[in-house]
Amino acid sequence: MGFWLELAASGLITGGIYAVVALGLNLQYGLMRIMNISHGEFLMLGAYLTWLAHTVFGINPVAFLPVVAIVLFLTGLAVYRLCFRRITRTSPSVEIIEARSLLVGFGLMYLVQNAAYLIWGADLRGYSFLADAVVIGDARFAGNSLLAFGFAVAASLAMLAVLRWTMLGKAIRAMMQSPAGAQLVGIDTAFLHPAVFGAGLALAGVAGALLSMVYEITPGMGEPYTVTALIVITLGGLGSAAGCLAGGLLLGLVEAFGMHFTSPSLKMLLSYAVFIAVLLARPKGLFAR
Amino acid sequence: MTLREILGAIAAGALVLAALPWLASDFMLSLALTCLMYIGLAVTWAMFSGATNYLSLATSAFFGIGAYVTAWGFGTLPYALVVALGGLAAAAFASLVGAGILHLRGAYFAVLTFGLGELVRHAITYSEKTYAHTVGRVLQDAPESTAVYWTVLLIATAAVAACAAVRASRLGLALAGIGADEERAQTLGVNTRRAKIAGFALAAFFAGALGAAVAVRWTYIEPASVFNPFIGFQTVLIAMIGGAQTLAGPIVSAVVFSLLTELLRLQFPYAYLIVLGFLLIVLVLYLPGGLASLISRWRQARA
Repeated sequence: MGFWLELAASGLITGGIYAVVALGLNLQYGLMRIMNISHGEFLMLGAYLTWLAHTVFGINPVAFLPVVAIVLFLTGLAVYRLCFRRITRTSPSVEIIEARSLLVGFGLMYLVQNAAYLIWGADLRGYSFLADAVVIGDARFAGNSLLAFGFAVAASLAMLAVLRWTMLGKAIRAMMQSPAGAQLVGIDTAFLHPAVFGAGLALAGVAGALLSMVYEITPGMGEPYTVTALIVITLGGLGSAAGCLAGGLLLGLVEAFGMHFTSPSLKMLLSYAVFIAVLLARPKGLFAR
Repeated sequence: MTLREILGAIAAGALVLAALPWLASDFMLSLALTCLMYIGLAVTWAMFSGATNYLSLATSAFFGIGAYVTAWGFGTLPYALVVALGGLAAAAFASLVGAGILHLRGAYFAVLTFGLGELVRHAITYSEKTYAHTVGRVLQDAPESTAVYWTVLLIATAAVAACAAVRASRLGLALAGIGADEERAQTLGVNTRRAKIAGFALAAFFAGALGAAVAVRWTYIEPASVFNPFIGFQTVLIAMIGGAQTLAGPIVSAVVFSLLTELLRLQFPYAYLIVLGFLLIVLVLYLPGGLASLISRWRQARA
Protein backbone atom coordinates (compact mmCIF):
# COMPACT_ATOMS: atom_id res chain seq x y z
CA MET A 1 0.00 0.00 0.00
CA GLY A 2 2.75 2.41 1.00
CA PHE A 3 4.54 1.69 -2.26
CA TRP A 4 1.54 2.57 -4.42
CA LEU A 5 0.97 5.72 -2.41
CA GLU A 6 4.60 6.71 -2.98
CA LEU A 7 4.28 6.01 -6.68
CA ALA A 8 1.10 8.06 -6.98
CA ALA A 9 2.63 10.85 -4.94
CA SER A 10 5.77 10.97 -7.06
CA GLY A 11 3.56 11.19 -10.14
CA LEU A 12 1.53 14.01 -8.61
CA ILE A 13 4.68 15.86 -7.59
CA THR A 14 6.14 15.89 -11.11
CA GLY A 15 2.62 16.58 -12.35
CA GLY A 16 2.38 19.67 -10.16
CA ILE A 17 5.58 21.04 -11.69
CA TYR A 18 4.28 20.21 -15.17
CA ALA A 19 1.14 22.18 -14.39
CA VAL A 20 3.07 25.33 -13.44
CA VAL A 21 5.28 25.16 -16.53
CA ALA A 22 2.31 24.50 -18.78
CA LEU A 23 0.28 27.30 -17.19
CA GLY A 24 2.95 29.82 -18.12
CA LEU A 25 3.13 28.61 -21.71
CA ASN A 26 -0.63 28.44 -21.97
CA LEU A 27 -0.96 32.09 -20.96
CA GLN A 28 1.46 33.11 -23.71
CA TYR A 29 0.05 30.84 -26.37
CA GLY A 30 -3.59 31.19 -25.48
CA LEU A 31 -3.47 34.95 -25.25
CA MET A 32 -1.07 36.02 -27.96
CA ARG A 33 -0.50 32.90 -30.07
CA ILE A 34 3.16 33.18 -29.16
CA MET A 35 4.49 29.65 -29.20
CA ASN A 36 7.46 30.28 -26.95
CA ILE A 37 9.49 27.14 -27.48
CA SER A 38 12.22 28.60 -25.28
CA HIS A 39 9.92 28.44 -22.26
CA GLY A 40 11.94 25.62 -20.69
CA GLU A 41 15.11 27.67 -20.99
CA PHE A 42 13.65 30.27 -18.66
CA LEU A 43 12.74 27.49 -16.28
CA MET A 44 16.42 26.57 -16.38
CA LEU A 45 17.36 30.19 -15.64
CA GLY A 46 15.09 30.15 -12.61
CA ALA A 47 16.75 26.97 -11.41
CA TYR A 48 20.25 28.39 -11.84
CA LEU A 49 19.35 31.67 -10.12
CA THR A 50 18.10 29.73 -7.11
CA TRP A 51 21.14 27.48 -7.12
CA LEU A 52 23.44 30.51 -7.27
CA ALA A 53 21.60 32.30 -4.49
CA HIS A 54 21.74 29.22 -2.30
CA THR A 55 25.33 28.12 -2.87
CA VAL A 56 27.00 31.53 -3.17
CA PHE A 57 24.98 33.70 -0.81
CA GLY A 58 23.39 31.04 1.36
CA ILE A 59 19.86 32.32 0.75
CA ASN A 60 16.97 29.99 1.55
CA PRO A 61 15.51 28.79 -1.80
CA VAL A 62 11.94 29.24 -0.61
CA ALA A 63 12.58 32.82 0.46
CA PHE A 64 14.20 33.38 -2.93
CA LEU A 65 11.10 32.29 -4.90
CA PRO A 66 9.57 35.79 -5.12
CA VAL A 67 12.88 37.22 -6.32
CA VAL A 68 13.07 34.60 -9.07
CA ALA A 69 9.50 35.42 -10.07
CA ILE A 70 10.22 39.15 -10.24
CA VAL A 71 13.53 38.77 -12.12
CA LEU A 72 11.92 36.51 -14.72
CA PHE A 73 8.90 38.77 -14.99
CA LEU A 74 11.23 41.64 -15.88
CA THR A 75 13.16 39.38 -18.26
CA GLY A 76 9.84 38.53 -19.87
CA LEU A 77 9.02 42.22 -20.37
CA ALA A 78 12.40 42.74 -22.03
CA VAL A 79 12.12 39.65 -24.24
CA TYR A 80 8.64 40.66 -25.29
CA ARG A 81 9.73 44.18 -26.09
CA LEU A 82 12.79 43.04 -28.06
CA CYS A 83 11.41 40.05 -29.94
CA PHE A 84 7.72 39.35 -29.86
CA ARG A 85 6.21 42.83 -30.02
CA ARG A 86 7.50 43.30 -33.53
CA ILE A 87 6.15 39.93 -34.60
CA THR A 88 2.65 40.54 -33.30
CA ARG A 89 2.61 43.96 -34.95
CA THR A 90 4.01 43.11 -38.37
CA SER A 91 2.52 39.68 -39.03
CA PRO A 92 -0.47 39.66 -41.36
CA SER A 93 -2.22 36.64 -39.80
CA VAL A 94 -2.38 34.59 -36.64
CA GLU A 95 -0.76 31.63 -38.35
CA ILE A 96 2.22 33.70 -39.34
CA ILE A 97 2.54 34.99 -35.76
CA GLU A 98 2.68 31.38 -34.65
CA ALA A 99 5.28 30.33 -37.21
CA ARG A 100 7.51 33.34 -36.66
CA SER A 101 7.29 33.25 -32.88
CA LEU A 102 8.20 29.60 -33.02
CA LEU A 103 11.35 30.35 -34.98
CA VAL A 104 12.27 33.22 -32.70
CA GLY A 105 11.66 30.87 -29.78
CA PHE A 106 14.14 28.43 -31.28
CA GLY A 107 16.66 31.21 -31.63
CA LEU A 108 16.12 32.20 -27.99
CA MET A 109 16.40 28.60 -26.94
CA TYR A 110 19.83 28.21 -28.51
CA LEU A 111 20.89 31.62 -27.28
CA VAL A 112 19.92 31.15 -23.64
CA GLN A 113 20.85 27.49 -23.36
CA ASN A 114 24.32 27.93 -24.83
CA ALA A 115 24.92 31.08 -22.83
CA ALA A 116 24.22 28.97 -19.76
CA TYR A 117 26.63 26.29 -20.97
CA LEU A 118 29.24 28.96 -21.53
CA ILE A 119 28.78 30.46 -18.06
CA TRP A 120 28.13 27.44 -15.87
CA GLY A 121 29.47 24.51 -17.91
CA ALA A 122 27.74 21.25 -18.67
CA ASP A 123 28.18 19.69 -15.20
CA LEU A 124 25.25 18.63 -13.08
CA ARG A 125 24.72 21.13 -10.27
CA GLY A 126 22.75 20.70 -7.15
CA TYR A 127 22.42 21.47 -3.48
CA SER A 128 20.88 19.66 -0.59
CA PHE A 129 17.79 21.27 0.82
CA LEU A 130 15.24 19.59 3.11
CA ALA A 131 16.34 16.22 1.80
CA ASP A 132 15.23 14.32 4.92
CA ALA A 133 12.42 11.85 4.46
CA VAL A 134 8.98 12.65 5.82
CA VAL A 135 6.83 9.68 6.79
CA ILE A 136 3.11 9.94 6.16
CA GLY A 137 1.18 6.77 6.97
CA ASP A 138 3.47 4.03 5.73
CA ALA A 139 4.84 6.02 2.80
CA ARG A 140 8.07 8.01 2.80
CA PHE A 141 8.56 11.25 0.88
CA ALA A 142 11.48 13.62 0.50
CA GLY A 143 10.66 16.85 2.31
CA ASN A 144 11.77 19.01 -0.60
CA SER A 145 9.53 17.32 -3.15
CA LEU A 146 6.50 17.71 -0.88
CA LEU A 147 7.36 21.37 -0.53
CA ALA A 148 7.79 21.73 -4.29
CA PHE A 149 4.44 20.06 -4.85
CA GLY A 150 2.75 22.35 -2.35
CA PHE A 151 4.17 25.47 -3.96
CA ALA A 152 3.40 24.23 -7.46
CA VAL A 153 -0.25 23.65 -6.62
CA ALA A 154 -0.43 26.93 -4.71
CA ALA A 155 1.04 28.84 -7.68
CA SER A 156 -1.41 27.20 -10.08
CA LEU A 157 -4.38 27.89 -7.80
CA ALA A 158 -3.30 31.50 -7.29
CA MET A 159 -3.10 31.95 -11.06
CA LEU A 160 -6.52 30.34 -11.42
CA ALA A 161 -7.99 32.67 -8.81
CA VAL A 162 -6.49 35.72 -10.47
CA LEU A 163 -7.90 34.68 -13.82
CA ARG A 164 -11.33 33.89 -12.46
CA TRP A 165 -12.07 36.55 -9.90
CA THR A 166 -10.08 39.70 -10.61
CA MET A 167 -10.69 42.44 -13.15
CA LEU A 168 -7.26 41.75 -14.62
CA GLY A 169 -8.09 38.08 -15.01
CA LYS A 170 -11.37 38.96 -16.66
CA ALA A 171 -9.54 41.16 -19.16
CA ILE A 172 -7.09 38.35 -19.93
CA ARG A 173 -9.88 35.85 -20.44
CA ALA A 174 -11.72 38.30 -22.65
CA MET A 175 -8.62 38.68 -24.80
CA MET A 176 -8.28 34.91 -25.06
CA GLN A 177 -11.85 34.69 -26.29
CA SER A 178 -11.74 37.51 -28.76
CA PRO A 179 -8.72 39.80 -29.18
CA ALA A 180 -10.59 42.31 -31.32
CA GLY A 181 -13.67 42.32 -29.09
CA ALA A 182 -11.53 42.89 -26.03
CA GLN A 183 -9.92 45.90 -27.64
CA LEU A 184 -13.35 47.29 -28.54
CA VAL A 185 -14.46 47.27 -24.90
CA GLY A 186 -11.35 49.18 -23.90
CA ILE A 187 -8.91 46.52 -22.73
CA ASP A 188 -5.37 47.83 -22.99
CA THR A 189 -3.45 45.27 -25.08
CA ALA A 190 -0.29 47.35 -25.10
CA PHE A 191 -0.14 46.86 -21.34
CA LEU A 192 -1.58 43.36 -21.04
CA HIS A 193 0.51 41.57 -23.67
CA PRO A 194 3.91 42.21 -22.13
CA ALA A 195 2.54 41.75 -18.61
CA VAL A 196 1.03 38.36 -19.41
CA PHE A 197 4.15 37.28 -21.27
CA GLY A 198 6.21 38.26 -18.23
CA ALA A 199 3.84 36.41 -15.93
CA GLY A 200 4.30 33.30 -18.08
CA LEU A 201 8.07 33.47 -17.71
CA ALA A 202 7.72 34.16 -13.98
CA LEU A 203 5.76 30.92 -13.63
CA ALA A 204 8.46 29.08 -15.59
CA GLY A 205 11.11 30.55 -13.30
CA VAL A 206 9.22 29.52 -10.16
CA ALA A 207 8.89 26.00 -11.55
CA GLY A 208 12.63 25.93 -12.19
CA ALA A 209 13.39 27.17 -8.69
CA LEU A 210 11.19 24.42 -7.25
CA LEU A 211 12.86 21.80 -9.45
CA SER A 212 16.31 22.88 -8.31
CA MET A 213 15.37 21.96 -4.73
CA VAL A 214 14.57 18.41 -5.78
CA TYR A 215 16.75 17.48 -8.76
CA GLU A 216 20.19 18.27 -10.07
CA ILE A 217 20.23 20.91 -12.76
CA THR A 218 21.99 21.33 -16.12
CA PRO A 219 21.72 23.97 -18.84
CA GLY A 220 19.88 21.45 -21.03
CA MET A 221 17.21 20.64 -18.45
CA GLY A 222 14.56 22.95 -19.87
CA GLU A 223 13.93 21.42 -23.28
CA PRO A 224 11.98 18.32 -22.16
CA TYR A 225 9.77 20.53 -20.00
CA THR A 226 8.79 22.65 -22.98
CA VAL A 227 7.61 19.57 -24.83
CA THR A 228 5.84 18.27 -21.73
CA ALA A 229 4.17 21.64 -21.27
CA LEU A 230 2.79 21.45 -24.77
CA ILE A 231 1.43 17.98 -24.09
CA VAL A 232 -0.23 19.26 -20.91
CA ILE A 233 -1.77 22.20 -22.75
CA THR A 234 -3.16 19.80 -25.34
CA LEU A 235 -4.54 17.59 -22.59
CA GLY A 236 -6.12 20.44 -20.68
CA GLY A 237 -7.32 22.49 -23.60
CA LEU A 238 -5.94 25.68 -25.05
CA GLY A 239 -6.36 28.69 -22.82
CA SER A 240 -7.84 26.75 -19.93
CA ALA A 241 -5.99 27.23 -16.65
CA ALA A 242 -7.95 24.64 -14.71
CA GLY A 243 -7.42 22.18 -17.54
CA CYS A 244 -3.68 22.83 -17.24
CA LEU A 245 -3.65 21.88 -13.58
CA ALA A 246 -5.71 18.75 -14.13
CA GLY A 247 -3.77 17.81 -17.28
CA GLY A 248 -0.42 18.28 -15.56
CA LEU A 249 -1.33 16.11 -12.61
CA LEU A 250 -2.82 13.50 -14.94
CA LEU A 251 0.29 13.35 -17.11
CA GLY A 252 2.47 13.04 -14.00
CA LEU A 253 0.40 10.06 -12.85
CA VAL A 254 0.40 8.43 -16.29
CA GLU A 255 4.18 8.76 -16.46
CA ALA A 256 4.78 7.44 -12.95
CA PHE A 257 2.55 4.39 -13.34
CA GLY A 258 3.56 3.81 -16.96
CA MET A 259 7.25 3.85 -16.05
CA HIS A 260 6.61 1.45 -13.20
CA PHE A 261 4.84 -1.07 -15.39
CA THR A 262 7.16 -0.76 -18.42
CA SER A 263 10.59 0.82 -18.13
CA PRO A 264 11.95 4.24 -17.09
CA SER A 265 13.63 4.68 -20.47
CA LEU A 266 10.16 4.67 -22.06
CA LYS A 267 9.06 7.85 -20.28
CA MET A 268 9.34 10.01 -23.38
CA LEU A 269 7.53 7.42 -25.49
CA LEU A 270 4.69 7.36 -22.98
CA SER A 271 4.26 11.13 -22.99
CA TYR A 272 4.26 11.16 -26.76
CA ALA A 273 1.77 8.35 -26.95
CA VAL A 274 -0.54 10.39 -24.71
CA PHE A 275 0.08 13.50 -26.78
CA ILE A 276 -0.65 11.87 -30.11
CA ALA A 277 -3.64 9.96 -28.79
CA VAL A 278 -5.21 13.15 -27.41
CA LEU A 279 -4.48 15.13 -30.57
CA LEU A 280 -6.12 12.47 -32.68
CA ALA A 281 -9.08 11.67 -30.45
CA ARG A 282 -9.86 14.94 -28.64
CA PRO A 283 -7.94 17.78 -30.29
CA LYS A 284 -9.70 20.38 -28.13
CA GLY A 285 -8.51 18.78 -24.89
CA LEU A 286 -9.83 16.10 -22.57
CA PHE A 287 -12.18 18.40 -20.74
CA ALA A 288 -13.72 20.22 -23.69
CA ARG A 289 -17.48 20.11 -23.88
CA MET B 1 14.90 30.14 -66.40
CA THR B 2 12.95 27.21 -67.71
CA LEU B 3 13.05 23.86 -65.99
CA ARG B 4 15.31 22.44 -68.69
CA GLU B 5 17.86 25.23 -68.23
CA ILE B 6 17.80 24.80 -64.45
CA LEU B 7 18.33 21.06 -64.72
CA GLY B 8 21.16 21.65 -67.17
CA ALA B 9 22.84 24.07 -64.77
CA ILE B 10 22.47 21.56 -61.92
CA ALA B 11 24.01 18.78 -64.03
CA ALA B 12 26.90 21.02 -65.06
CA GLY B 13 27.56 22.01 -61.46
CA ALA B 14 27.48 18.39 -60.36
CA LEU B 15 29.95 17.38 -63.10
CA VAL B 16 32.41 20.05 -62.01
CA LEU B 17 32.09 18.99 -58.36
CA ALA B 18 32.57 15.34 -59.31
CA ALA B 19 36.14 16.15 -60.28
CA LEU B 20 36.94 17.52 -56.82
CA PRO B 21 38.55 14.32 -55.37
CA TRP B 22 41.41 14.68 -57.90
CA LEU B 23 41.91 18.37 -57.20
CA ALA B 24 41.40 18.97 -53.50
CA SER B 25 42.97 17.73 -50.28
CA ASP B 26 41.20 15.36 -47.90
CA PHE B 27 40.25 18.23 -45.65
CA MET B 28 38.72 20.20 -48.51
CA LEU B 29 36.86 17.11 -49.63
CA SER B 30 35.33 16.63 -46.20
CA LEU B 31 34.30 20.32 -46.14
CA ALA B 32 32.69 19.90 -49.55
CA LEU B 33 30.88 16.83 -48.34
CA THR B 34 29.37 18.72 -45.41
CA CYS B 35 28.29 21.51 -47.77
CA LEU B 36 26.63 19.00 -50.09
CA MET B 37 24.87 17.31 -47.20
CA TYR B 38 23.34 20.57 -46.00
CA ILE B 39 22.45 21.58 -49.55
CA GLY B 40 20.46 18.36 -49.88
CA LEU B 41 18.82 18.75 -46.49
CA ALA B 42 17.99 22.44 -46.88
CA VAL B 43 16.55 22.37 -50.41
CA THR B 44 14.30 19.41 -49.65
CA TRP B 45 13.21 21.01 -46.38
CA ALA B 46 12.38 24.19 -48.30
CA MET B 47 10.54 22.19 -50.94
CA PHE B 48 8.01 20.99 -48.38
CA SER B 49 8.07 23.42 -45.46
CA GLY B 50 8.95 26.54 -47.41
CA ALA B 51 6.11 25.99 -49.85
CA THR B 52 3.41 24.79 -47.45
CA ASN B 53 4.36 26.79 -44.33
CA TYR B 54 4.17 23.54 -42.38
CA LEU B 55 7.22 23.98 -40.21
CA SER B 56 8.77 20.53 -40.04
CA LEU B 57 11.48 19.96 -37.46
CA ALA B 58 11.66 16.25 -38.22
CA THR B 59 14.78 16.45 -40.40
CA SER B 60 17.00 15.04 -37.66
CA ALA B 61 14.55 12.16 -37.16
CA PHE B 62 14.71 11.22 -40.87
CA PHE B 63 18.45 11.70 -40.96
CA GLY B 64 18.89 9.47 -37.91
CA ILE B 65 16.64 6.76 -39.31
CA GLY B 66 18.78 6.67 -42.44
CA ALA B 67 21.94 6.51 -40.35
CA TYR B 68 20.55 3.62 -38.36
CA VAL B 69 19.68 1.69 -41.49
CA THR B 70 23.38 1.94 -42.28
CA ALA B 71 24.28 0.83 -38.75
CA TRP B 72 22.11 -2.26 -39.10
CA GLY B 73 22.62 -3.14 -42.75
CA PHE B 74 26.17 -2.06 -43.58
CA GLY B 75 28.54 -4.99 -43.86
CA THR B 76 25.90 -7.45 -45.00
CA LEU B 77 24.45 -5.30 -47.78
CA PRO B 78 26.28 -3.21 -50.39
CA TYR B 79 26.71 0.50 -49.64
CA ALA B 80 24.49 1.74 -52.46
CA LEU B 81 21.64 -0.51 -51.40
CA VAL B 82 21.95 0.59 -47.78
CA VAL B 83 21.71 4.24 -48.84
CA ALA B 84 18.59 3.58 -50.92
CA LEU B 85 17.05 1.59 -48.08
CA GLY B 86 17.84 4.40 -45.63
CA GLY B 87 15.94 6.84 -47.82
CA LEU B 88 13.02 4.47 -48.27
CA ALA B 89 12.81 3.74 -44.54
CA ALA B 90 12.69 7.47 -43.75
CA ALA B 91 10.10 8.06 -46.48
CA ALA B 92 7.94 5.20 -45.22
CA PHE B 93 8.17 6.55 -41.68
CA ALA B 94 7.29 10.04 -42.92
CA SER B 95 4.22 8.91 -44.84
CA LEU B 96 3.02 6.88 -41.88
CA VAL B 97 3.51 9.72 -39.41
CA GLY B 98 2.37 12.29 -41.94
CA ALA B 99 -0.93 10.52 -42.42
CA GLY B 100 -1.49 10.91 -38.69
CA ILE B 101 -0.28 14.43 -38.00
CA LEU B 102 -0.41 16.43 -41.22
CA HIS B 103 -3.89 17.72 -40.43
CA LEU B 104 -2.39 19.64 -37.51
CA ARG B 105 -1.43 23.19 -38.25
CA GLY B 106 0.98 25.70 -36.85
CA ALA B 107 2.77 25.15 -33.61
CA TYR B 108 1.34 21.71 -32.89
CA PHE B 109 2.78 20.32 -36.09
CA ALA B 110 6.15 21.94 -35.45
CA VAL B 111 6.44 20.71 -31.89
CA LEU B 112 5.23 17.25 -32.75
CA THR B 113 7.79 16.92 -35.52
CA PHE B 114 10.44 18.28 -33.17
CA GLY B 115 9.54 15.52 -30.77
CA LEU B 116 9.69 12.86 -33.48
CA GLY B 117 13.47 12.88 -33.41
CA GLU B 118 13.47 12.39 -29.65
CA LEU B 119 10.80 9.74 -29.93
CA VAL B 120 12.67 7.66 -32.52
CA ARG B 121 15.91 8.15 -30.63
CA HIS B 122 14.41 6.82 -27.40
CA ALA B 123 12.72 3.96 -29.20
CA ILE B 124 15.98 2.90 -30.87
CA THR B 125 18.02 3.29 -27.68
CA TYR B 126 15.49 1.15 -25.86
CA SER B 127 15.28 -1.59 -28.49
CA GLU B 128 19.07 -1.74 -28.92
CA LYS B 129 19.51 -2.10 -25.18
CA THR B 130 16.83 -4.74 -24.74
CA TYR B 131 17.25 -6.82 -27.86
CA ALA B 132 20.80 -6.25 -29.13
CA HIS B 133 22.37 -5.47 -25.74
CA THR B 134 24.43 -2.63 -27.16
CA VAL B 135 24.48 1.13 -26.84
CA GLY B 136 26.08 1.92 -30.19
CA ARG B 137 27.44 0.06 -33.17
CA VAL B 138 30.88 -0.01 -34.68
CA LEU B 139 31.14 0.20 -38.46
CA GLN B 140 33.94 -1.77 -40.07
CA ASP B 141 35.44 -1.50 -43.55
CA ALA B 142 33.94 1.89 -44.33
CA PRO B 143 34.03 2.73 -48.05
CA GLU B 144 36.70 5.09 -49.39
CA SER B 145 36.10 8.76 -48.68
CA THR B 146 35.89 9.44 -52.42
CA ALA B 147 33.09 6.89 -52.80
CA VAL B 148 31.20 8.54 -49.94
CA TYR B 149 31.76 11.93 -51.53
CA TRP B 150 30.40 10.83 -54.90
CA THR B 151 27.40 9.18 -53.28
CA VAL B 152 26.55 12.32 -51.30
CA LEU B 153 27.12 14.42 -54.42
CA LEU B 154 24.72 12.18 -56.33
CA ILE B 155 22.04 12.41 -53.63
CA ALA B 156 22.43 16.17 -53.27
CA THR B 157 22.23 16.64 -57.05
CA ALA B 158 19.17 14.42 -57.22
CA ALA B 159 17.64 16.40 -54.34
CA VAL B 160 18.17 19.76 -56.04
CA ALA B 161 16.93 18.38 -59.37
CA ALA B 162 13.88 16.85 -57.68
CA CYS B 163 13.08 20.16 -56.00
CA ALA B 164 13.40 22.02 -59.28
CA ALA B 165 11.14 19.47 -60.96
CA VAL B 166 8.60 19.54 -58.13
CA ARG B 167 8.44 23.34 -58.20
CA ALA B 168 7.41 23.18 -61.85
CA SER B 169 4.96 20.31 -61.38
CA ARG B 170 1.36 19.94 -60.24
CA LEU B 171 2.59 18.71 -56.87
CA GLY B 172 4.67 21.86 -56.43
CA LEU B 173 1.73 24.08 -57.32
CA ALA B 174 -0.46 22.14 -54.92
CA LEU B 175 2.09 22.57 -52.12
CA ALA B 176 2.38 26.29 -52.80
CA GLY B 177 -1.41 26.53 -52.86
CA ILE B 178 -1.59 24.86 -49.47
CA GLY B 179 0.92 27.36 -48.15
CA ALA B 180 -1.07 30.32 -49.44
CA ASP B 181 -4.48 29.16 -48.26
CA GLU B 182 -5.18 25.52 -47.56
CA GLU B 183 -8.97 25.77 -47.59
CA ARG B 184 -8.97 27.57 -50.89
CA ALA B 185 -6.68 24.91 -52.37
CA GLN B 186 -9.10 22.26 -51.16
CA THR B 187 -12.04 24.08 -52.65
CA LEU B 188 -10.23 24.28 -55.95
CA GLY B 189 -10.00 20.51 -56.00
CA VAL B 190 -6.49 19.87 -54.72
CA ASN B 191 -6.20 16.67 -52.72
CA THR B 192 -4.28 18.51 -50.01
CA ARG B 193 -3.84 15.47 -47.84
CA ARG B 194 -2.18 13.46 -50.57
CA ALA B 195 -0.03 16.39 -51.69
CA LYS B 196 1.19 17.05 -48.15
CA ILE B 197 2.06 13.42 -47.51
CA ALA B 198 3.84 13.14 -50.86
CA GLY B 199 5.88 16.28 -50.23
CA PHE B 200 6.70 15.29 -46.66
CA ALA B 201 7.76 11.77 -47.69
CA LEU B 202 9.87 13.03 -50.61
CA ALA B 203 11.76 15.41 -48.31
CA ALA B 204 12.18 12.57 -45.82
CA PHE B 205 13.55 10.27 -48.51
CA PHE B 206 16.46 12.59 -49.26
CA ALA B 207 17.14 13.30 -45.58
CA GLY B 208 17.18 9.56 -44.87
CA ALA B 209 19.41 8.76 -47.83
CA LEU B 210 21.84 11.51 -46.79
CA GLY B 211 21.86 10.17 -43.24
CA ALA B 212 22.58 6.67 -44.49
CA ALA B 213 25.31 7.88 -46.85
CA VAL B 214 27.07 10.10 -44.34
CA ALA B 215 26.83 7.62 -41.46
CA VAL B 216 29.77 5.58 -42.78
CA ARG B 217 32.03 8.53 -42.00
CA TRP B 218 31.53 7.88 -38.32
CA THR B 219 33.07 4.63 -37.24
CA TYR B 220 30.85 4.50 -34.19
CA ILE B 221 27.10 5.05 -34.42
CA GLU B 222 24.98 5.75 -31.38
CA PRO B 223 21.51 7.30 -31.07
CA ALA B 224 22.71 10.43 -29.28
CA SER B 225 25.03 11.43 -32.12
CA VAL B 226 22.90 10.59 -35.17
CA PHE B 227 19.63 12.04 -33.81
CA ASN B 228 21.37 15.29 -33.05
CA PRO B 229 18.70 18.02 -33.07
CA PHE B 230 21.39 20.43 -34.22
CA ILE B 231 21.23 18.93 -37.71
CA GLY B 232 17.51 19.69 -37.97
CA PHE B 233 17.93 23.12 -36.47
CA GLN B 234 20.79 24.03 -38.79
CA THR B 235 18.77 22.83 -41.78
CA VAL B 236 15.82 25.07 -40.92
CA LEU B 237 18.12 27.98 -40.25
CA ILE B 238 19.94 27.57 -43.57
CA ALA B 239 16.72 27.35 -45.55
CA MET B 240 15.14 30.32 -43.74
CA ILE B 241 18.20 32.52 -44.06
CA GLY B 242 18.60 31.71 -47.72
CA GLY B 243 14.89 32.14 -48.40
CA ALA B 244 12.75 29.05 -48.10
CA GLN B 245 10.55 30.01 -51.05
CA THR B 246 13.43 29.89 -53.50
CA LEU B 247 15.66 27.16 -54.87
CA ALA B 248 18.97 29.02 -55.02
CA GLY B 249 18.69 30.70 -51.61
CA PRO B 250 19.08 27.54 -49.50
CA ILE B 251 21.94 26.30 -51.72
CA VAL B 252 23.99 29.44 -51.26
CA SER B 253 23.37 29.71 -47.54
CA ALA B 254 24.06 25.98 -47.07
CA VAL B 255 27.57 26.50 -48.42
CA VAL B 256 28.18 29.57 -46.27
CA PHE B 257 26.87 28.04 -43.07
CA SER B 258 28.47 24.62 -43.47
CA LEU B 259 31.84 26.28 -43.90
CA LEU B 260 31.21 28.50 -40.87
CA THR B 261 30.07 25.51 -38.82
CA GLU B 262 33.04 23.36 -39.71
CA LEU B 263 35.49 26.13 -39.02
CA LEU B 264 33.99 27.65 -35.89
CA ARG B 265 31.92 25.04 -34.15
CA LEU B 266 34.78 22.90 -32.89
CA GLN B 267 36.67 25.86 -31.52
CA PHE B 268 33.81 27.83 -29.99
CA PRO B 269 30.89 25.40 -29.71
CA TYR B 270 28.69 27.44 -27.39
CA ALA B 271 29.51 30.87 -28.70
CA TYR B 272 28.81 29.68 -32.23
CA LEU B 273 25.35 28.42 -31.29
CA ILE B 274 24.62 31.65 -29.43
CA VAL B 275 25.44 33.58 -32.59
CA LEU B 276 23.27 31.23 -34.66
CA GLY B 277 20.34 31.72 -32.29
CA PHE B 278 20.79 35.46 -32.39
CA LEU B 279 21.00 35.46 -36.19
CA LEU B 280 17.79 33.48 -36.46
CA ILE B 281 15.93 35.95 -34.23
CA VAL B 282 17.18 39.00 -36.10
CA LEU B 283 16.41 37.41 -39.43
CA VAL B 284 12.86 36.39 -38.58
CA LEU B 285 12.18 39.85 -37.18
CA TYR B 286 13.67 41.97 -39.91
CA LEU B 287 13.97 39.78 -43.00
CA PRO B 288 11.27 37.10 -42.85
CA GLY B 289 11.66 36.25 -46.55
CA GLY B 290 15.36 35.40 -46.22
CA LEU B 291 18.32 36.77 -48.13
CA ALA B 292 16.64 35.88 -51.43
CA SER B 293 13.98 38.50 -50.69
CA LEU B 294 16.73 41.14 -50.60
CA ILE B 295 17.61 40.32 -54.19
CA SER B 296 14.03 40.42 -55.39
CA ARG B 297 13.53 43.68 -53.48
CA TRP B 298 16.60 45.12 -55.19
CA ARG B 299 15.30 43.99 -58.59
CA GLN B 300 11.94 45.63 -57.94
CA ALA B 301 13.64 48.82 -56.90
CA ARG B 302 15.59 48.88 -60.18
CA ALA B 303 12.62 48.08 -62.36
